[in-house]
Amino acid sequence: MTIFGTIDVLSFLVFAPAIGALIVLLLPQNKWLARWVALAFAAILCGVSVAVFFAYNHAVPDYQFVIQTKWFDLLGSSWHIGIDGISATMILLTGLLTPLAVLVSFEVEDRVNAHMALILFFATGLFGVFVAMDLMVFFLFYELSLVPMYFIIDQWGGPNRKYASTKFFIYSMGGSLGMLLATQLIGFTAHTFDIQQLTTIWPAFNGANGTFLGIPIETVKGLAFAGFFVAFCIKVPVWPFHTWLPDAHSEAPTAGSMLLAGVMLKLGAYGFLRLVIPLFPDVWISQISIFGLSISVAGLFAVLAVLGIVLGAFAAFGQTDIKRLVAYSSVNHMGFVALGLAVAALAYAQSYFKVAGIDPQTAILAMNGAVFQMFNHGLSSAGMFLLAGAVYHKTHTRDMTQYGGFWVKAPIYGGIFIFTSMASLGLPGLNGFVSEFLVVRGAWPVFTVLTLIAMIGLLFTGGYILKGIRAVLHGPFNMHWRDYHLEIDLREFVAIAPLMVLMLVTGLAPNWILSVINASVTRIFGG
Amino acid sequence: MVPLYMYLLVAAGMFCIGVYGVLARRNAVAILMSVELMLSAVNINLIAFWRYGAPTLIAGQVFAAFVFVIAAAEASVGLAIIISIYRTRRSVTVEDVNLLKG
Amino acid sequence: MDWNSFISNGNFLPWLIPVGPLLAFLIITLLTNRSKWIPATSEEYGGSHPDYGGMLVPVVTDTSRVVSVVVGLIGILFAWIVSLIVVAHAFAIDHLGENVIASSGTWFDTGVTAFKMGILVDPLTTIMLIMVPLACTCIFIYSVGYMAHDPRQSRFFSLIALFAGAMLTLVVADNLLLLFVGWEVMGLCSYMLIGFWFEKESAYKAAIKAFTTTRVADVIMLLGIAYLYASTGTLSFRDILHNQATLTALAHSPAILFGGLGWSAASLIGIFLVVGTIGKSAQFPLHVWLPDAMEGPTPVSAMIHAAAMVSAGVYMIIRMYPLLSAGGDPGAGILSPPMVLMSVVGAFTALFAATIAVAQNDIKKVLAYSTISQLGFMVSALGIGAYIAAAFHLITHAFFKALLFMASGSVIHGMEHGEHHVHEHHAHAHGHDELAAAHDQHPAMSEAHVEAVEAVTGEEPAAAIGDESGEGHPAEPTAHVEPHAEQPTKVGPVFDPQDMFNMGGLRKTMPVTFYTFLLGGLSLAGFPLITAGFWSKDEILGDAWHGTLLGFGASALVFIFLAVAAFLTAFYTMRQIGLTFWGDARTEEAKHASLGKGIVAVTMTLPLIILAFFAVVAGFVGVSPQFPILGSIFSSGGFSPFEHFVGATLLTEPEAVPFNVFPVLVSFAVSLGGLYAGYLLYWRKPLVAGEVDPMVNMLGPVYPILKNKYYVDELYIRVFVKPSQWFAANVAYQFIDKGIIDGFLSLIARVFTWIGDLLKNLNLWLIDGVGDGVPEAIGKFGGWIRWLQSGEIQQYMLYVAIAALVIGIIFALTTGVLHAAP
Repeated sequence: MTIFGTIDVLSFLVFAPAIGALIVLLLPQNKWLARWVALAFAAILCGVSVAVFFAYNHAVPDYQFVIQTKWFDLLGSSWHIGIDGISATMILLTGLLTPLAVLVSFEVEDRVNAHMALILFFATGLFGVFVAMDLMVFFLFYELSLVPMYFIIDQWGGPNRKYASTKFFIYSMGGSLGMLLATQLIGFTAHTFDIQQLTTIWPAFNGANGTFLGIPIETVKGLAFAGFFVAFCIKVPVWPFHTWLPDAHSEAPTAGSMLLAGVMLKLGAYGFLRLVIPLFPDVWISQISIFGLSISVAGLFAVLAVLGIVLGAFAAFGQTDIKRLVAYSSVNHMGFVALGLAVAALAYAQSYFKVAGIDPQTAILAMNGAVFQMFNHGLSSAGMFLLAGAVYHKTHTRDMTQYGGFWVKAPIYGGIFIFTSMASLGLPGLNGFVSEFLVVRGAWPVFTVLTLIAMIGLLFTGGYILKGIRAVLHGPFNMHWRDYHLEIDLREFVAIAPLMVLMLVTGLAPNWILSVINASVTRIFGG
Repeated sequence: MVPLYMYLLVAAGMFCIGVYGVLARRNAVAILMSVELMLSAVNINLIAFWRYGAPTLIAGQVFAAFVFVIAAAEASVGLAIIISIYRTRRSVTVEDVNLLKG
Repeated sequence: MDWNSFISNGNFLPWLIPVGPLLAFLIITLLTNRSKWIPATSEEYGGSHPDYGGMLVPVVTDTSRVVSVVVGLIGILFAWIVSLIVVAHAFAIDHLGENVIASSGTWFDTGVTAFKMGILVDPLTTIMLIMVPLACTCIFIYSVGYMAHDPRQSRFFSLIALFAGAMLTLVVADNLLLLFVGWEVMGLCSYMLIGFWFEKESAYKAAIKAFTTTRVADVIMLLGIAYLYASTGTLSFRDILHNQATLTALAHSPAILFGGLGWSAASLIGIFLVVGTIGKSAQFPLHVWLPDAMEGPTPVSAMIHAAAMVSAGVYMIIRMYPLLSAGGDPGAGILSPPMVLMSVVGAFTALFAATIAVAQNDIKKVLAYSTISQLGFMVSALGIGAYIAAAFHLITHAFFKALLFMASGSVIHGMEHGEHHVHEHHAHAHGHDELAAAHDQHPAMSEAHVEAVEAVTGEEPAAAIGDESGEGHPAEPTAHVEPHAEQPTKVGPVFDPQDMFNMGGLRKTMPVTFYTFLLGGLSLAGFPLITAGFWSKDEILGDAWHGTLLGFGASALVFIFLAVAAFLTAFYTMRQIGLTFWGDARTEEAKHASLGKGIVAVTMTLPLIILAFFAVVAGFVGVSPQFPILGSIFSSGGFSPFEHFVGATLLTEPEAVPFNVFPVLVSFAVSLGGLYAGYLLYWRKPLVAGEVDPMVNMLGPVYPILKNKYYVDELYIRVFVKPSQWFAANVAYQFIDKGIIDGFLSLIARVFTWIGDLLKNLNLWLIDGVGDGVPEAIGKFGGWIRWLQSGEIQQYMLYVAIAALVIGIIFALTTGVLHAAP
């Protein structure tokens, strides 16, 4: 598909934000101009991504809009991009959130051009990852997305931003290091970086008689797996690799938190389902022994996921800082993504080796749930961060004990806050429920006890959500804020309204997006 | 017919005059003129060798033509530089222009 | 599909039932909820809210108040009318149990199949469609008057509209997931409505408690749904419950968990679902939220208790009965594990809650505990297989309990009216500051209410309500909240308009309320023959006795527990009526209590009359055909209309229990005995002001236990709430995340910093030694050759010339060019 006559639409999505960023950066130092030009660019991106999503034909559940051009012949890497239903969903999410983040960051007064440019540039990294069909392209953009976010946190963040941004960067780079090694190892042995080819070559790769450079092939694959696994676990984040997240999210400016939680976390989950699951079926089902307990790697992943769900919910429940509470809710919600992925990984490995095991229907539902949860979490966490940022921007404190009874002064904000909180809580009728249900349904027959434990997390999801509502809206009004403006601004309202509409529509009629996801997921499992 | 070495002698003489001019004159315009002299000497050499060495080929003349062009270009650029220097320093004496001093 | 065929096709009509209220919700929320900003000290804002020192607060404008009310009423009336059409349509169908009204569409794709979502009207849904919209409509009408002075009436109407919409969705749902959607949305609405007066600590705490407690059950229920879906691949009621093969398969496949107990998959799913009902229908041990839910405005209480939320719980287990009983045969005394759970929990709860109700003084709390108790009747009835009886009691109970709640709301409203009157009187007589007049005219319980209640009995105040919200900081930072110096000055002890000991003699000033309350109360007490409550309760006891005769332990247990509970029910009902309406007024406020005149009085009494009618006659549809005399009048043809109709919902219609005179006699005895006991203590010689409750002396040391609800709240706070708060703040966050994980990371960071320092020092003496030496030498050399670069172009050219000469000479000498040229 091309736009403007000849430009490939996916390449446009990848490069247009970078060009836009450059233009915004070079504009005269005029806040008004920078904001509106950035918004215009973001709106174009949004329009194009929506168009891409709806132009994607899910009746043909294969990669579409594929472009393959010479790029880096020496390495066997090419500019190979295309999307399937999963990428289309993620592109839609990125496209939706970028203009909203730009709109929200109108509140930034300091070095506006640079801020806007970084947000746009960030979109380049995200789109690049989601369209990549080549491992080098994937890695390149995966790393690229890190840089603008680092500067956004580091330059425009809260009081503790230096610590948070450094932690964020070091954590991510620590993960990337292993990923780079694994990428090179795989590319070196397979002589290609094409992900689709690798999907068949690498799992079957057996080295020279079971060794590679003198090392047993299991070890090599295990190391490559570990490289990817840790990198993506950090990004998702899977417990216990999550402690960068509360700091980064709570210190980032509102727009940064929105994008961070809304899309950046999805890079990790996307990496899992695009690379780690198809490339390492043998590792996923291999048994490892911990303290005498034998468990498959996928099972271990599920354990970590459930720990994330439960401990994330508890940690959120224990917060008094509103942005930290929302940040921990991401750990909790992304745990469900990870749980769904664990089921999918196990099922994929079993079907790869043609071992009897998980019912394909279960696996499809689990993975549908995981991908759908990625989308839903993108909507609701972005909304929650927007609202937390809105109240922070007005009161200049994130300490919830200082709030109280805001509903009386901010009735519209109150209604929106409750609505969004309920979406985050997974209230049936809103978006999060369907995906959580699908994950629970998928995980139940496979990891029964773990799913049971995960319910504790689901219970405390209610706990922290209600705690947040109670702290902000309920109770006697704190007269300290008597003369403050607390009601939501029109600009913030405009930014959250599309999210709310999507939450409701997706909750009531999820098939507009789930059918697209389902088709591609079904193809992966050969259904 | 005049033998080849006569041409070469003339050319060598002209060249030496040119070298002397370049090294000894202080006026930049004179230096430029000396450079032209050196180029002319080279041209004489080229034509002479062509005529005596390979009169059937056109290469020698072409080389000479190139040299003319380059000489013209060099003169114009050189003069432009000199004028520019003169405007800023009110002088075309090369000793006054030693910005490259290390 | 065009609109006409949609309307004319009866199968599509049920889709429209929830649409009215849901649309009303959207319209009110988005369009008609308009507020004006006025100072909080204004009379219009209502005196019971904090006045915030005159800060501007939103109050719904008169126009939007009227429009919202009208929109809400239109919405519910639309639902009611459509329901009636559907019901009429359903009655016209022969064998509705087989030929159900159904339609569905794809909700989302699941692999190559799809999950379908749709509506189903079978006999069970039909009877719910008779009860729910009617009760909801009454509640809506009642709310017009009850909330007429609330500054947020529009919000109230939008929420009850959503509530009604969710309940109707749940009723017409054709699958468990859609039912769960309605179920949870109702949970949200109850949370919002219980915490409607969100400034009050007791209100928002009760709201959080309700939501959290029911959520405990809901997540378990979600597992049950997931398990069922995983096992059968569908959640449609018809596909699962009307399919003997599926049920048998479920009953014979072993459970995925707790294998040691020998349960089948059906049992485990059933237990998960029953746990959902235990939470939603407030059964022990998850009953604690319901009494606190009385913090909400009274129509909410009626909504929660009668028409919607708690009924939903029972409706769900009645609906899922074939699954719950799969693997068992109640007719032969073989109960499946979920049924055992239901009968034990239900019977215990029925008695447990009834004993607590005996010792409560708050008019709404008594009703709340009575609700818990009555729900226990239904759950235990279903537990022993009395399917029809449970459904029957669900319907009759909804009518009389809605009536009782709304009548008690009228009483409270009247008491507040009286209080207002008294204060105004005071203000005139003694020239008190006029703020006092505005104080507490609103139907909100003041925060001091708990103390007020306790003060009467002289007990320690109960340790408040469970703060499930998990305040990490128990001490509210009151330092930031300026003291409420602006609040109205309190004159004397706080008056509690809900305390029955402040009432008395209300029959004189509020006759309509009295007679309707009396009818509702008698129905609740099961006054023989003429009330609906008698017939439904009698049927439960009859079923239980039938099982007892056959020697089934569970039935015997249920029979005994329920009989005792029924006795207590009659007793506390009489106590309530006696304390509230009989005798003389015990306070000035009660003397002046009235509903006043105008629209408020009309809208608050009309629904009572409608419901009173149903509270009496609704029972006659379920009279046992063998009942002497009456049986032949109401149930000609050998079966009662209700039984025959609802029984058709099941695959095999349950057999009617043979008539036995013993349970009827027991029903007579417990009902009349309880009423008589109440009459003796509270009616014959009504209490006068200041007199101590006879219960205190009679029960002795037991009284405080009952009064404090067996200290369950306190137990939960100590065992669940506080530890989880502590765990969240200290373990999950501080210890694991901050301590272990971040500690580990900073340890690594420290190690690497140390290594880095080491390397740095290494550099200083080793590498720097070399590294610094080389540039230094180069620098010196550079300084030395600096003079070569004079900047004079001619000098450079001289070098070039010299170099060229030298190179040329060397070249000539070494290659012998000179020699070669002759």
